[in-house]
Amino acid sequence: MKNNLLFLSCMGISLCGFPAAAGERTHGRAGLECPKGLTALLDTFPLQTITITGTVRDAAGPLPGVTVRVKGNRTVTLTDSEGRYAIMAETGDVLLFSYVGYREYEVTVTTANIIDAILQEDATSLQEVTVNAGYYRVTDRERTGSIAKITSKEIGTQPVTNVLATMQGRMAGVNITQTTGVPGGSFDIQIRGLNSVRTGGNSPLYIVDGVPYAADAIGTGINSAVLPYAPSPLNSLNPEQVESIEVLKDADATAIYGSRGANGVVLITTKKGKAGATRYNVDVSTGMGSITRRIDLLDTAQYLAMREEAFRNDGIGEFPAQAYDVNGTWDRNRNTDWQRELLGQTAHITNAQLSMSGGTAQTQFLVGGSFNRQGTVYDGDFAYRKSNLHLQLGHASADQRFKASFSAGYTLQDNNQPRVDLMVEALRLAPNAPDLYDADGELNWEGSTWENPLRHYEGQYGATTRDLMANSTLSYLLLPGLELRSGFGYTTLRNAERTAAPSTMFDPAFGVTSAASSLIVSAADRSSWIAEPQLHWKGRLGKARLELLVGATFQSQGGSQLAQYAEGFSSNSLIRNIGAASNLFTVTSDNTEYRYQAFFGRANLIWDDRYILNLTGRRDGSSRFGPGKQFANFGAAGVAWLFSREALLKDSNVLSHGKLRGSYGVTGSDQIGDYQYLDTYAPSGVLYGGVMGLRPTRLFNPDFGWETNRKMEAALELGFLRDRIMLTAGWYRNTSGNQLAGIPLPGTTGFNIIQANLEATVQNRGLELTLQAVNMQGRDFKWTSSLNFTQERNKLVEFPGLETSTYRNTYAIGQPLNIRKMYHFTGVDPETGLYTFEDVNGDGRLTAAEDKKQVVDFTPAYYGGLHNDLRYGNWQLGFLFQFVRQQNFNSAVNFGAPGTSNQPVTALDRWQEPGDVSDHQRFTSGSNGAAMSAYNRYRDSDAAVSDASYVRLRNLSISYTLPATALKGVQCRMFVEGQNLLTFTKFEGADPEFKAAGYLPPLKVISAGMQFNF
Amino acid sequence: MKNMIRRWSGTLGGLFLLLSVSCTEFIEVPLPDGQLTAEGIFEEPATAHAAMASVYAQLRDGGLLTGNPQGLSCLLGTYTDELDYYGSTQGAPWAFYSNALLPTSSEVAVLWNSSYQQIYAANAVLEGVEASASLPVADRRQLTGEALFVRAFLHAYLAQLYNGVPYVTTTDYRENAVARRLGATEVLEEAKADLLLAAELLPEAYVTSDRVRPNRYAARAVLARICLYLGQWDGAGNHASAVLNRTELYPFQEDLDGEFLADSPSTIWQFSPASGEANTREGATFIFGSGPPPLVALKPELVAAFGDGDLRKEKWIRAVTDGTDTWYHAFKYRQHQNGGAREHSVLLRQAEMYLIRAEARARGGDLIGAREDLDRIRNRAGLGPTTALTAEEMVAAIFAERQLELFTELGHRYFDLRRSGTIDTVLQQLKPGWESEDALFPIPETELGLNPNLVPQNPGY
Repeated sequence: MKNNLLFLSCMGISLCGFPAAAGERTHGRAGLECPKGLTALLDTFPLQTITITGTVRDAAGPLPGVTVRVKGNRTVTLTDSEGRYAIMAETGDVLLFSYVGYREYEVTVTTANIIDAILQEDATSLQEVTVNAGYYRVTDRERTGSIAKITSKEIGTQPVTNVLATMQGRMAGVNITQTTGVPGGSFDIQIRGLNSVRTGGNSPLYIVDGVPYAADAIGTGINSAVLPYAPSPLNSLNPEQVESIEVLKDADATAIYGSRGANGVVLITTKKGKAGATRYNVDVSTGMGSITRRIDLLDTAQYLAMREEAFRNDGIGEFPAQAYDVNGTWDRNRNTDWQRELLGQTAHITNAQLSMSGGTAQTQFLVGGSFNRQGTVYDGDFAYRKSNLHLQLGHASADQRFKASFSAGYTLQDNNQPRVDLMVEALRLAPNAPDLYDADGELNWEGSTWENPLRHYEGQYGATTRDLMANSTLSYLLLPGLELRSGFGYTTLRNAERTAAPSTMFDPAFGVTSAASSLIVSAADRSSWIAEPQLHWKGRLGKARLELLVGATFQSQGGSQLAQYAEGFSSNSLIRNIGAASNLFTVTSDNTEYRYQAFFGRANLIWDDRYILNLTGRRDGSSRFGPGKQFANFGAAGVAWLFSREALLKDSNVLSHGKLRGSYGVTGSDQIGDYQYLDTYAPSGVLYGGVMGLRPTRLFNPDFGWETNRKMEAALELGFLRDRIMLTAGWYRNTSGNQLAGIPLPGTTGFNIIQANLEATVQNRGLELTLQAVNMQGRDFKWTSSLNFTQERNKLVEFPGLETSTYRNTYAIGQPLNIRKMYHFTGVDPETGLYTFEDVNGDGRLTAAEDKKQVVDFTPAYYGGLHNDLRYGNWQLGFLFQFVRQQNFNSAVNFGAPGTSNQPVTALDRWQEPGDVSDHQRFTSGSNGAAMSAYNRYRDSDAAVSDASYVRLRNLSISYTLPATALKGVQCRMFVEGQNLLTFTKFEGADPEFKAAGYLPPLKVISAGMQFNF
Repeated sequence: MKNMIRRWSGTLGGLFLLLSVSCTEFIEVPLPDGQLTAEGIFEEPATAHAAMASVYAQLRDGGLLTGNPQGLSCLLGTYTDELDYYGSTQGAPWAFYSNALLPTSSEVAVLWNSSYQQIYAANAVLEGVEASASLPVADRRQLTGEALFVRAFLHAYLAQLYNGVPYVTTTDYRENAVARRLGATEVLEEAKADLLLAAELLPEAYVTSDRVRPNRYAARAVLARICLYLGQWDGAGNHASAVLNRTELYPFQEDLDGEFLADSPSTIWQFSPASGEANTREGATFIFGSGPPPLVALKPELVAAFGDGDLRKEKWIRAVTDGTDTWYHAFKYRQHQNGGAREHSVLLRQAEMYLIRAEARARGGDLIGAREDLDRIRNRAGLGPTTALTAEEMVAAIFAERQLELFTELGHRYFDLRRSGTIDTVLQQLKPGWESEDALFPIPETELGLNPNLVPQNPGY
């Protein structure tokens, strides 16, 4: 097997991605064994050239695209869509059949001119699996770094639109949270915990096909109130077009990315064309989404009883004029389930994609297009649409010395949503609130007695994003083993958003006309280019295999933003045209430029196939720092010992793979935004006395510098029973120092933040386990499982001067970063009926600074996923359970004080008269200051946080492939896929997965479709 | 092949040479388009005035002085006995109306933060002008005077709302982050000192054709108000007189209809609208066309306080009825949406100066002078002379007049109730759950958390 692999790489098939030894083919050089072996073979047989034909299959049927090669010469062909091939060979030649994911198969040519082959799937085929480490590829077996990977097999079965969603629950050390159920929203991703005290300083680096992809939120943020966080540009990638996603986690893997590797690196590789007859792939599906859970709220009878009791409690005998819900203005018999009414629709989802791929052994192509439409659970004509075109070309010269790869993707997204998320209104509205529409089908304002929630439909949020990503890699083998390679990339993104506020969204009592209508439009442009010349060398010296890499990066990213506010339209039907406004103000108009430059290198030594040393380093310069602070050095060392290759274990029947690896290194972060060191003024966009104002841009600090992140890792990898069981256990410790933080400032400074370095140190420690097993494998049946588990601990190790800094109420030494200091809830006072809290300093009064001392941790204690894949004949079933153990805000934060707005039914356990022992305090109409104050502290106490752990059936996929005989030449697969189908949790709220409370949680989606391949 | 290698190695060599030479230069980025360095701004009068214009625009569009529902005119109206709130319980005024302000209320933090942002901007102008080498003297004096004026004006409001605040006089965040909280009186004294300096620096005439940038008399007017709040009756009277004596600049405006028009001669300081079309934000906030009111309406008790024949009730208040119920809204500003820029938000006007001088005279024993000033306002409203005889009655009559003259204008009523000591007795009758501690706003909790020199929190919070 080992020889085969070596041979393969000699032939330039380049499974390891290194177009290594094409030059070695002709003459034996240092350590070249293969041609010698071949010569020996050739000597034994008489020569006779014949044409050989045959069919290659696997257990399921014919295999197209299998490489059939005559060992030792250039003759190579591919099987067609029926698995057939024809090749010229001489008797005595060895035919080699190879296909990724299958064991190689060799046959010696005799006189027979039909040779059929049946390829066996490799158990986990670790031997062949190579992983993308960014600037280089390594075999999974010989890597020294910590890299997690998922491939199109897992990605393709999930009915989601953002690639980050496909990673949820599938990777150890990677914690992903969906921030909203509104399509087009973003995901929060943390790789091995929070490293930085700076919010927004914890995003990983994204690299798409070798080109860094700025994942900073797009838009100005003033325009997308419906989303809790500004949209993520990663929405532009279509998951269907992704071949694999690799996440680099430790220093060994990330240090080559230097300053940008501190929070991990996500490498996304898109699909490439495959040689062979042109193949077409058509995939259509349709699905439905709905909210996962509802909160059990009070009905009208309970609600009105609560309100009446609230006024009684407050000593208000006569209901005030504006208490329309109880004073008889509104029908006391109406009962509306507002969650059902406002969030209860089914979101329809449509997905279609078409691709074709083919080519010769020298030139391959892939062209694909897709369309995706996702509706919403709101009752209205809202939808997210995404269309995408993807093109890839690969070429190699006949002698395999020159290689070129080019790919381009263009994506158009169009999102149309209500102005704001209706979640909070759906929870708080009185159940006897009036009808949404009046008899004429117009918005019902019920005589100005309420604010109709559907007013937000009148003003809509619209966003369009156009995105082009193009990259190419050119390489040329200068000398045997020495390759010059260069990557070039260009990305450009144009985003336009608008939020309209037509006068019709205001109560007609204001008497406003379209002269009061307003529109906010914003446009963001971003484009970047990158060039990365590199020199790779690979060779052998005795027992040592050596790889060297030096390279440089030049990157420039420019961006501009324009946000304008327009008001005064002659008609509401013109509201989308900013030219129709009588007043126009520019809110933001700026441009930024970011330049980045680096040198990097890698040296990898493998001694005797057993001892591996990997050194990486980078010197980075960034325009984000002021003069004198621009450059910094980063680097790492990784070692591995493949002890299973030691003589003692080499022939073990049980242990097929054993490796100990470790790494240590330094990475950094420059995610601080541009120009923070400059003291400038910019136009305010607002006129005064006909003069355009100029305002200070920021509080500036000319002296901040790089933050550093030291990562250490040790891991053990074991493979048993010919790798049918693979186990990896890793331990890591990352320490981030010289924290570059936006230090919070009191309002008296005129700002709320300043960029500066803090001497604070944050430590992340964790344990990651992954287990992959082929539980059963038969002719027609295969069952594989994979489990990942991560336990992490985040800790603020030191922070000199914490107690006198502005962080003193935010952080605590020895505690994680993601904590809150809160009041400690001590129950409802049976005498007063008010929530009570611990008076920590015992001064008889509750003050935030002195008494919010209860540390509540929001860091997940552990998380992971268990994936099972079962195949029986043409049936396939896959399901992923994701689990998270965590605390989060419970539903208390979504409601007003008990008595003022609708409540969950649990609020009924309240205090009514002295002596009552209850969970909740007395109802108040809002005028009992003490009760309001107590309620507000309650929201800010540990009582507002509860267990939000969950186990979720994150993904389910069932598919059936029609037998090959059913449709001549067409492979047809039918599938049903589901996302978030079941959620098991004790959480008292809508859904336990959220970052900011009060937004629509992720939807439950079920989708069905068909895929044709021909 | 050899050629190819040579070419490639040539390129490669060239590339690496390029790298080593240009790496520092490569990452030098120019200043973003449309931004100017802070030093550059204050060398040219045009850009220096633009910096000041931005401060006024901030004052107009947000914070204490804005006519939006988030500004003091609306919030303090609902907090006291001027306005009833009919809007959603999620809206900013609700917490004020229900006297349920909390240290965590975002409304409280917004008022605080935006005021200090405005103060920062004013201080940045002061420091920029100070450091400027080439700004002409006249512009220097004008801008310094205006920035001092704005800084003092804002601090004076904050001091009373929060019962003492830091007086911020620099842009240095290290200093401001630990700024010490002064007592309310100390803050007012600081403001007075700034205003005296401003009055010296500012020209007598307005620098623009309208009154959107303060002149010397605007500074004197605020001095009059602060002296009144400090109980410095002589000072209050003198500063008010200084304004009132300039009759050619401020002729008495007999016509109530014209009081809030853009070109009203009784205006001492007004905001310039955001566009050539815009009217006031107050108009949009207070005016409604049908009932029940969507946001706020005048309290019936306030409407009832106007005597028969009071022209202000007729001209500055409008009734709206749905046939059964009647509601009233402030109608000082009559334009509820944009068009023609006919009205400007008024911050300082002559009538207040008469009432200040009347009170100062009454407190100082000059009852004849006091009566003269008070009746001036009463006559204009179509009312007969005051019946007050004693100094005490006179002061009470002045307070009553202030309520009717200055309603829904930046919370005069709140400050009057506070200084007359009647806030609890008045509001307890009208607002369920009113407690004496509610007279003060809480210091925002985040501020207390960030700056240790702000403690203690105001009582009751």
